[in-house]
Amino acid sequence: MSPTRTVLLIAEREVRQRLRGRLFVITTLAISVFLAIAAAVPMLLGVFDIGGDDTDAGPVDPVAIVVVGELSSDASEVLEQAIGPIVVQPATDPDEAAALVTAGEADFAIVDGERIVVPARSGVFAFDPPAASRAAEALALSEVLSEQGDGDRVGAVLDLTPLPVQQLGDQDPGDAAARLVVANLGVVFLFGVLIMYASMIINGVIEEKGSRVVELLVEAVPVRRLMAGKVLGLGLVGLGQTVVLFAPAVVVLVVTAGDVVPPGIAPLAGLLVLWFVLGYGLYAVIAAGLGSLVSRPEEAQAVLTPANMLMILGYFVGFASINAPDATFARVAALVPFSAPYVMLVRQTLGTPALWEVALSIALTLLTIVAMTLLAARLYEGGILRVGARVRLRDAWGAAKR
Amino acid sequence: MLELEGLVRHFGEVVALDGLSFAVAPGELCGFLGPNGAGKTTAMRCAVGVSAPDAGTVRWDGRPVDLDVRRRTGYMPEERGLYPRMRVHEQLVYLARLHGMSSADAGASATRWIDRLGLGDRRDAAVEELSLGNQQRVQLAAALVHDPQLLVLDEPFSGLDPIAVGVMSDVLRERADAGVAVVFSSHQLDLVEDLCRTVAVVSAGRVVLRGGVAALKRQGDRRLRLEVDGGTAWVERLPDGVEVGAQRQDAISLALRADIDPGEIIDLARTSGRLLGVRLEEPRLSELFRDAVDGADVTPRLQPDEVPS
Repeated sequence: MSPTRTVLLIAEREVRQRLRGRLFVITTLAISVFLAIAAAVPMLLGVFDIGGDDTDAGPVDPVAIVVVGELSSDASEVLEQAIGPIVVQPATDPDEAAALVTAGEADFAIVDGERIVVPARSGVFAFDPPAASRAAEALALSEVLSEQGDGDRVGAVLDLTPLPVQQLGDQDPGDAAARLVVANLGVVFLFGVLIMYASMIINGVIEEKGSRVVELLVEAVPVRRLMAGKVLGLGLVGLGQTVVLFAPAVVVLVVTAGDVVPPGIAPLAGLLVLWFVLGYGLYAVIAAGLGSLVSRPEEAQAVLTPANMLMILGYFVGFASINAPDATFARVAALVPFSAPYVMLVRQTLGTPALWEVALSIALTLLTIVAMTLLAARLYEGGILRVGARVRLRDAWGAAKR
Repeated sequence: MLELEGLVRHFGEVVALDGLSFAVAPGELCGFLGPNGAGKTTAMRCAVGVSAPDAGTVRWDGRPVDLDVRRRTGYMPEERGLYPRMRVHEQLVYLARLHGMSSADAGASATRWIDRLGLGDRRDAAVEELSLGNQQRVQLAAALVHDPQLLVLDEPFSGLDPIAVGVMSDVLRERADAGVAVVFSSHQLDLVEDLCRTVAVVSAGRVVLRGGVAALKRQGDRRLRLEVDGGTAWVERLPDGVEVGAQRQDAISLALRADIDPGEIIDLARTSGRLLGVRLEEPRLSELFRDAVDGADVTPRLQPDEVPS
């Protein structure tokens, strides 16, 4: 049997066993559904309609206004021009007007043609009703123009279109915001899956070692292939899980809000996959090598601590580089293999890394993966059959020489 | 033919194997005996390639054991080892395929052994749900499922009930008859005596007794129990090579060296009176075992797992 077939056979078992774990499958599906629903929420709530084009929104409900005192026909003409059809309801005094506004019977009140009364704000981020603000502006404007004898120009002034505002820089604000979200989520997600899968690797290694089944395996399979198969199998599970977690949400987002999602975002998903694969490759082999040193699950986290520290450090550096993706420290950290998955992901999303920097970062990470694989394979060979007390690094290293 | 030659293995200060050599031929069913700590497990681990000796060679058909040979070897480790959460049939198929069997052959072979070992109704149960006895049957199936040409079993009988012992014995004998070289370790000497045609006794990391069970017995001391009417004065005239054991009134137990003719001793006894009872016993394997081990250096040895770290 060829080495490749052996490795694939081992990987297949890992995938099969994971998919049989009900908790794993149910959790993954539940989170996936949750994310898809979360992606649909903005659309359901009509969040994307804010500030949108409402001229084609069909007939507009008339704005209900309570008026205390007189409302001149000029004034009501100005109001209709500014805020569309209105329904006027008289009130005898400001108190009655206030009561009507508070009760929601009217959108706002105009008191003696002098001031506008709106309902109390019901939250930190609540705004005055836009119609009230525009009415206030329009009435003030018409008053000024009438005093200057230009009353007939009120209509023209109210109809004016603001000049287009151009922002410097080549990114449109929607794209920049989306990239920031992707960078933040990407770093958090990467950290989460790396920690989780490093732990899955080490527990898988310990299961084989602790149950002694490894003695049956090494008889037929060189330990390197054993390790490679496990890393590959769990990696495929990780990739599959990532796709299952996010694909429905992305599809929902594109279908419901395709015109809102900036076009530059799709390739970023590819970056996330790339850096998951590289980051996983790096930390998984380290976890496998360290896992072969211990025999009991309780010892897993202790022996994994150095790898976890590296992952956490990379995570922090990744986060720090979000604020300055092209600063010197980010450029350096993006080349250091242990932080590269986080930092280069951030730089490619938010910064402007040169092509050679990206290539060098990938190459260095790959080289480190190869080096770590050789190191870990040797630890694995020396440690995997020594059941009992934790094997010292030096002993595992020496034992593998045979 | 499996040949272990001059195997040496140290665990720190402890010598587990001290130049151990022996061979097992195809079709041979060899009991591998020895007191605790004699080096049986270490030798078997070296034989299947799970452990490497410090010195010495392990050969199959004259060539050093490589991956291809190991794939055709069935091994039952002393500490049983299976994936606890994997189902019986699935696990056997997986192990068979790792040993190079095609998927279809592996499936058929796994089913065959599951049925043969009486696990038919448990084929889709997780191993951890099985009783210990059944787990051990699965362990045997795991050693057999890929149709090995060499079987190395470390204590396959320990913890089995009499029925399972019967099944296990039948399977081992049948495999040996099919031309497989079978070697297994055990402390149940009577069982080994009934089952095996050959034995190897290890003590202190060396083989101290090796050969066919029948031939070894012929070389060992026989027991002769005589009861003669008229006292035991004749005992004074016994030739060299006869040892006097327990003596009670007219009855006496003697140990006869292999070259002593029991007839002569009986004739001698009859000179003093009427013969009331005679019983001649072949030596038991347990006696040969004890003699062989007592004759060797028996400084206590540690098992690899007991090595202080």
